[in-house]
Amino acid sequence: MATAAAPMEPRPNVPSATVRLPAVKDYEQVDREIIATLRPTLGWFAALATAILCLLIGVSAWFYQVYAGLGVAGYQPPVMWGVYIISFVFWVGIGHAGTLISAILYLFRAGFRTSIYRCAEAMTVFAVMTAGLFPILHLGRPWKFFWLIPYPNWRLLWPQFKSPLVWDVFAILTYLTVSSTFLYIGLIPDIAVLRDRETNPVRKQIYAMMSLGWRNSDREWRHFTRAYLFLAAFSTPLVLSVHSVVSFDFAMALTPGWHATIFPPYFVAGAIFSGLGMVFTIIVPIRKFFKLQHYVTLNDLDAAAKMCLFTSLVVGLAYLTEFQIAWMSGNKIEQDYFWNRVFGQWAWAAWIMIICNMVLPLSLFSQKLRRNPSWLFILSLFINLGMWFERFVIVVPSLSHEFEPWQWGSYAPTWVDYSILIGSFGWFFMWFLLFIKQLPVIAITEMKEVVPPRLRNVGGGGH
Amino acid sequence: MPGLIGAFAELDSTVEAIGDLRRNRFAELTVYTPTPRHELEHALAAPRSTVRIFTLIGGLCGATFGYWIAIWTSSYWPLVVGGKAIASWVPYTIFGFEVMVLIGSLSTVFAMFALARVPRLTMTVGYDPRFSGGHFGIWVATAPDRAKEAADLLKKHGAVEVRHES
Repeated sequence: MATAAAPMEPRPNVPSATVRLPAVKDYEQVDREIIATLRPTLGWFAALATAILCLLIGVSAWFYQVYAGLGVAGYQPPVMWGVYIISFVFWVGIGHAGTLISAILYLFRAGFRTSIYRCAEAMTVFAVMTAGLFPILHLGRPWKFFWLIPYPNWRLLWPQFKSPLVWDVFAILTYLTVSSTFLYIGLIPDIAVLRDRETNPVRKQIYAMMSLGWRNSDREWRHFTRAYLFLAAFSTPLVLSVHSVVSFDFAMALTPGWHATIFPPYFVAGAIFSGLGMVFTIIVPIRKFFKLQHYVTLNDLDAAAKMCLFTSLVVGLAYLTEFQIAWMSGNKIEQDYFWNRVFGQWAWAAWIMIICNMVLPLSLFSQKLRRNPSWLFILSLFINLGMWFERFVIVVPSLSHEFEPWQWGSYAPTWVDYSILIGSFGWFFMWFLLFIKQLPVIAITEMKEVVPPRLRNVGGGGH
Repeated sequence: MPGLIGAFAELDSTVEAIGDLRRNRFAELTVYTPTPRHELEHALAAPRSTVRIFTLIGGLCGATFGYWIAIWTSSYWPLVVGGKAIASWVPYTIFGFEVMVLIGSLSTVFAMFALARVPRLTMTVGYDPRFSGGHFGIWVATAPDRAKEAADLLKKHGAVEVRHES
């Protein structure tokens, strides 16, 4: 045996420095407990079956729409953007919290991200995949979807690069590519763990291919940690840019209620808020059903709830600022539009939005409620509802109440719209449920950074 | 090159063994660790990763391409829209930025793969599945005449297993 050297205090790895997990004793326990979540259960099969059923409802409605034409989707002049564009913005927004939690909080060294970021990242990728369906569903001839991709026609006429719709294509495709890459790169060391623990030869082979022969060598880690840092640095402004670009779809138009410079920050805050809502919707049941309370601690939920409260306040401020801008503008059309939004035709939708997004989240000022997973789950459902209605309130009232009375109209979604909306939730949750049974829902390797390593020369050789 | 692998259960033993091996001029060391640790990085005194250079080059190329494609296509069919300049740099900054992020990120990932030498088709000698679990490993590439000396050093620092491989 070696002569005992001076006792060594392990240096905390900075991103996880503030997190303590007293119930997690060693690296082996992390492997064992997180890998155990991959075993399928009856509840998981039931949830997957429900998700697939919802998806089939949506697919059937879409087939009907393709057969009968877009008229079955409830569009009537002047409202020619409806549930599909609302849901597109909603799902892109959901996709924002994942990159916020994984990239921005990584750069800010917020330790509480460690337990929830994998869930949030996967949620991002699947939410953007879901959002990407809606511009196609919105097309009268969806089989021409590739016309959305910027490439020239046979006369070398390119798409109009000054159009916000082309900006959108670039932003969303970049976001999907970078967030998928970020998710996969972070997964490689964890897949290597699965490869080394797997006993089924077929699954072992699949994990071996997916882990790219990762060996946990110092050389690999050295380049991996740098690359991960730069990906986080790229993803941070990307998050802010993508929803700003989505907001330009509206803000570039001269329509009342849309043509406002506040839109980019308002959309970004709303996106992060809605994404955090969906994080709670997902992580609270996962934490309970997989018995991961000692990994996703109440401190983590508390910190995420504070972030949720903060973004709710920003969103609330943006709502009020919109009214102030309309009031102070002296523009009669703008003022009438906002009056109609809150006290007129669309009051019911606007008040759902205000109550769910501004009023109910104020409960998070209470520490007791921030640390109550059941309340966080219930609140998250209201936030999801409120944020969908926020996009409804942005899209529909503006189009139905433009400058002249002959431009005024109404809008009511049909069963096709609702079915496709249900189908989008089915599509999203189907991918998510498949993900959590094939790959670790909590980052194994990063969790090990939180757990103190085994030492020989500290307090008798324990942890 | 043949060598030997030592498996360690404790971090401090691994760090001490690395220090001792380096002092005894065993230069070709590969350390396996279940999670990146600063202590090992410092013990190895490895050079900084050069991934950042590829990130910078990729980002600059992406930004240039993003602006160029928008300006070139506009100039090819010069249509005035809304009284704006044919090559209007303000909206084209969106393309410059998005393509910068896209190409910069992808070049970072490919640089990481190239520099870390992944993907690899076969696991090299010396790897043990324990190194993705709770153990640390040190691979010492050495000629057979110094193998015993290296094995003694590894054992002295508490290696739970020392194995010769080639």
